[in-house]
Amino acid sequence: MTDRIAQLGMRLVNGEVRFYRNRQISAIRQALRLIFPIILLGSLADFLEQSWLRTDGYYYQTLHVARWLFQVKILRQYLRLIGAGTLGLAGILMAFAVSFYLVVPVTRHMTDRLMAGTIAVISLKFFNVTRTSVLGGHTIKWVATDLGIQGILVGILVGVLVGNGYRWALGHRSPDLEQIPSTLVITCTWLVVMAALGLLWVSTQTVSLNSAFASIIRWPFRLPHFILGLLGYCVLNGAFEWLGVLGPLSASSGQSIESAQNLAAVLAHRGWQLPHPLTLHTVVSVYANVGGTGMMLALLLALFLSRPTAWQRRIGWLSLVPTLGNFNAPMMVGLPVILSPLMSIPFILAPSACITLSWLCIRLKWVPTVAYPLLTGTPGPLQAYLGTGGSWTALALSLADLILSTAIYYPFVKLVQAAHRQLDGEVA
Amino acid sequence: MRHTNLHRLWAVLLLLVVLCLPGFWWQPHQEKIVRANYQSLMAPVFFVPGSSATQNRFNALVKELNRESPTTHSLLRVEVMTNGRLEYSGNLKQGDERPFIVVGFQNHRDGPVNVRKQAVWFATAFQALEKTYHFTHFSAMGHSNGGLVLTLFMEHDLAKTKTKIDRLMTIATPFNLEEQDAAVDTDLFKELSGDRTNLPRNATVYSIAGSKTFASDGIVPFDSVNRGKYIFQDQVKHFTQITVTGANANHADLPENQQIVALIRQDLLS
Repeated sequence: MTDRIAQLGMRLVNGEVRFYRNRQISAIRQALRLIFPIILLGSLADFLEQSWLRTDGYYYQTLHVARWLFQVKILRQYLRLIGAGTLGLAGILMAFAVSFYLVVPVTRHMTDRLMAGTIAVISLKFFNVTRTSVLGGHTIKWVATDLGIQGILVGILVGVLVGNGYRWALGHRSPDLEQIPSTLVITCTWLVVMAALGLLWVSTQTVSLNSAFASIIRWPFRLPHFILGLLGYCVLNGAFEWLGVLGPLSASSGQSIESAQNLAAVLAHRGWQLPHPLTLHTVVSVYANVGGTGMMLALLLALFLSRPTAWQRRIGWLSLVPTLGNFNAPMMVGLPVILSPLMSIPFILAPSACITLSWLCIRLKWVPTVAYPLLTGTPGPLQAYLGTGGSWTALALSLADLILSTAIYYPFVKLVQAAHRQLDGEVA
Repeated sequence: MRHTNLHRLWAVLLLLVVLCLPGFWWQPHQEKIVRANYQSLMAPVFFVPGSSATQNRFNALVKELNRESPTTHSLLRVEVMTNGRLEYSGNLKQGDERPFIVVGFQNHRDGPVNVRKQAVWFATAFQALEKTYHFTHFSAMGHSNGGLVLTLFMEHDLAKTKTKIDRLMTIATPFNLEEQDAAVDTDLFKELSGDRTNLPRNATVYSIAGSKTFASDGIVPFDSVNRGKYIFQDQVKHFTQITVTGANANHADLPENQQIVALIRQDLLS
């Protein structure tokens, strides 16, 4: 039995290594490493702004920030600007970096590498332009929305398309031709083609490429009845995040009608009787979101329990503060969890297990249901305690979920470490 | 090595506990804060007719507002009798977040004394409805003296309730009654402007005037409507004055005037 598990583990590690050896995936991994500092800074700014400076923030409320901190408004504006300049441009940065790293192995010339990245950025923008400004003959206006962490996947796709195209063109370049004219030809050809595609897009579609993509992936969450149920939601949301569509996709943060009715019932009547005990808010947002989507705090604990590589240790410490406030972007990009086949298993499995356990406990009325609004940045395990107005059993359930998730992540973290050591050994 | 790993884990868990401490310390105050910030899903829109009009005054307007509206607003009519008893007709549909409630008065006669009485009766009806439907915020529209009733209510009785007003729209409301001489201040105007500091700071107020003859809408002098600025300006969050002219701009027709219906949709119901 143990042998079989060991064999399965070896197979999974080899699969992960093979996957990362792939040229495309290797470029994406390098790109994710490149943008990590930017994502980290943006997440820290977002965390500070939302949990320390906004009225519905955990630290703002509990530490009475408004009483002792001056210039809250200016600080908020400052942090919002940092967030917009970092997380808000993650999609563009990924397009540049992926295209750049795809071209690196085939050319020594920095001009070609940089130009491949630049073309990817321009191409992405060709599809994100205000329709009326192009078709109406006005000054061209670029669309700035949906280029952030939700657009990482689109950035990757555009980067892969442009990077491979550039590689192909470099491969067919005449060896007699000097470098600068050849770069010029490839660049111009690519830009002319992409601009034509961009024009085709804006003349046939009413929204930008990133907006269209964002609404397609949001669509399943708008179904009137949750036919797939809470687990279905969890799997779908997890799958999108794993692909690189970070950030909230649906309004599960407590603004739904069910949540409002739950709160009204609690405030209007004595006792804790709720009309909707099992909703996305009462189960998924509270118990399966500790550290952000995918129970990221459990991954962090599993990482520190095992023997992290130097890179993982650094990522773990750097991401600690945002992860404790349920901002998972640094861990997703840094480790990375995005597009890691091994990580996808616990990333879906851990929250699903938490949902099942919590659903059971709420259904059997062992724990009260969450009714109070959740404060942004509340440390994950405390969400259930504060959401239920101070129920210790809810806190215990939340901790049990965290331990369960850590146990699920642990073996996979070990396997990923083995795979990374193998890959790093090759690099060294 | 294993020892170091456990140290790291303990460090993370210790930090987690430290970050949770403010939450544990704050929790006993949580319910009070949640209650203070709670906003009910339901935010009714109150309509108060002017003098000589009953609770049926706005039937046509409500029909018009419900036309081309994505959601139909249900309508409850309340008549306050002179002894303070309430008579209801119509009903509020379950799940309707913006129901219309028209409050009329058995004594709907004109004159400052009656207007003051009507404001007190409105407060009686309002408190009964608040108790029944548990709303925490609302909007209101008053036509003619109905605007005076609502303004008096906001200055004298709103603070006694647990609700907040989001928006108020007054249509052809004579803040200086029908006084033709712009130099004369009526007692009611003096009272309204004297107590203006009681007005809620977060309300948004629109005052609409009809203009038929440059100086009035046929009944209410323009100057009297214009005096709303001395009451609301610098007291509420936003105060906007609008003058409507053209067809149906005389005093009695204003609530059905298409421009005003559009303004109600845009500024009161949006």
